Formats: sequence, C-alpha cells, structure tokens
Amino acid sequence: MEMLQEYWPFFVPLIASQFILAVTALVHVLRHPNYRFGTKAFWIPVVLLIQFIGPVIYFVFGRGED
Amino acid sequence: MNHFHVFFKKELRESVRTHRLLIILTIFFMFGVMNPLTAKLTPDLLAKFLPEGMIIELPVPSSLDSWAQFFKNVTQMGLIVVLLVFSGILANEITQGTLINLLTKGLSREAVITAKYAAMLALWSMGVLVSSLVTWGYTVYLFPDGKSHNLVFAVFCLWLFGAFLLAQLVFSTTLVKSSYGSLIITGAVVVFLNILQVFPGVQPWNPLVLATHNMELIGQNLEPSFFARPIGLAFLGCCLLVVLAVVVFRKKQI
Repeated sequence: MEMLQEYWPFFVPLIASQFILAVTALVHVLRHPNYRFGTKAFWIPVVLLIQFIGPVIYFVFGRGED
Repeated sequence: MNHFHVFFKKELRESVRTHRLLIILTIFFMFGVMNPLTAKLTPDLLAKFLPEGMIIELPVPSSLDSWAQFFKNVTQMGLIVVLLVFSGILANEITQGTLINLLTKGLSREAVITAKYAAMLALWSMGVLVSSLVTWGYTVYLFPDGKSHNLVFAVFCLWLFGAFLLAQLVFSTTLVKSSYGSLIITGAVVVFLNILQVFPGVQPWNPLVLATHNMELIGQNLEPSFFARPIGLAFLGCCLLVVLAVVVFRKKQI
C-alpha cells in the first residue's frame, strides 16, 4: 500500500492506458466475431488479462477482415 | 505530389481505423512511464528478495538507469511492435484487392510506396516523441541529478535507426507476398547487421550503433561525431531502399 501511495503518479496513467487498450480491443472482439483464428471465448480473456501485449496480439494477428 | 497527398491522408485515416495509432501511442506511453519506474524500483525489489542477512552493495539509481531502460525497451519491444503493426501494410491491400481499383484509376505506384512509408514514419515519430517526452518528464521528477547529456541527439539516432528498419520493411513488402515474409527479411537484416559488428573495420559505419551505443552518448563516453558515418549511411539506406521499393513495385503484377 505504501508503494502505491508513493508512486501513484506512475500507476494511475499506466492503469488508465492499459484500460483504454483493453476496452477498445474488447469492443472490437465483440463487434467483429470473425477472427483469423481462435474464438470469442479465447480472445476475450486474452485482451482483458494479458496486459498490453494481449490487445496488441489481437489487433495484429487475431482480427478478421471488416 | 497530389496523389501522394491524397494517399497519405488515406493511410493516416486507415491507421486510426485499424487501431495502429492507438496501439503505438499506448505502448510507447507505457514504456515512457515504466522506464523511470523500473530504474527506481529495481534496487528495492532486489533487496526485498535477497535472503535474510545477506548484504550486497546496491548502487543508487540515477537518471542514467532510467534512460538505459528507455533505450533497451524502445529498441527491443518498441521496434518489434512497430514492425509487427506495419508488416501487413502492403500485403493486405494486395490480397484484398483494394489497391487494384485505385491503381487502374490512375493512382501512381510511387505515391503508394512513398505515402505508406511516410505514414509509417509519422506514426513511428509520434511513438518515439511520446515515449521520450514521458520518460524525460518522470526522470526529471524522480532523478533530478543532471547526469544525462545529449538526450535529443541520442533519441534522434534511435529514431533514424527505426526509420531505416521501416524503409527495409517497405522494400521487403514489395519483394514477397505475405506479411510474415517481409518481417523475416527485416529480421534477417538486423541479424546481419549484428554479425557485421564483429568486424572492427565495419563498426564505425554500421547503422546498428545508432540503436546500441546511445547510452555511451548520454553518459558522455562517446563523442557525437562518432555517429556521423552511421547517420549518413542510415540516411542513404532509407533513400535507397525506398527508391528500390518503388522500382520493384512498378514491375510487380498485382
């Protein structure tokens, strides 16, 4: 807790940017249910649980054509 | 020139639509925050995980450690993300057939290549700018020691190396059909540059030093003039690769 209090100017922007990326990816996963590989049940945990890298992997490798 | 302008705008809009811009900005922003934080917390974390009673002398972190993190992260993860994000930039449009319409309507092929390269450069520049500004801000906040010098020049060297790799990526996308093929060629070029480092005669010319010797510049262990030849060569390389890409793409059947 002490560390969180001391370093909040770092953690708040980090969490915020991770949140924006994860939510954007989640919206895309839900709206475009045709993926290059994998299923909805696979991509939702990937974009939500793997910080930063999950959404990047989804957008680079997983997204299907619009 | 007009074709270039129109196609460049289209590329930028596409970068927003395909979330390329968002990915690059958030990832580079994250690096910007993480670099100083990692530098600050690493000694504390090490001390916590040491066995009871064991004492080792841990150096006090300085702004140099923060910038070392910056150059490590941006040259490794940062460049990998940028290359991955852009790897399909030409291959996808060819396989989807969206380029055929534009080209038959008279869009020049030079415009396609140069506008794509310009859009890549624009996004890469934004990423480097965001990451270095955020790192700089937090570094001044955590380590106001004034030990880091030549920052703008060191970041410029890294930026130029990225521009060189992106030119390489553009050229390789004109050679092969798949987006992975272009990545493999670009990766092979980096490996090749690394091998060249072994030969002392090549070292002062190798563009790779633009991404590996930045910390010597910041710690003032190297003169900025050391980078003159690699900078010249990287710049020439960018121009040459883009010209070659145009030449190959003109002859390519789509």
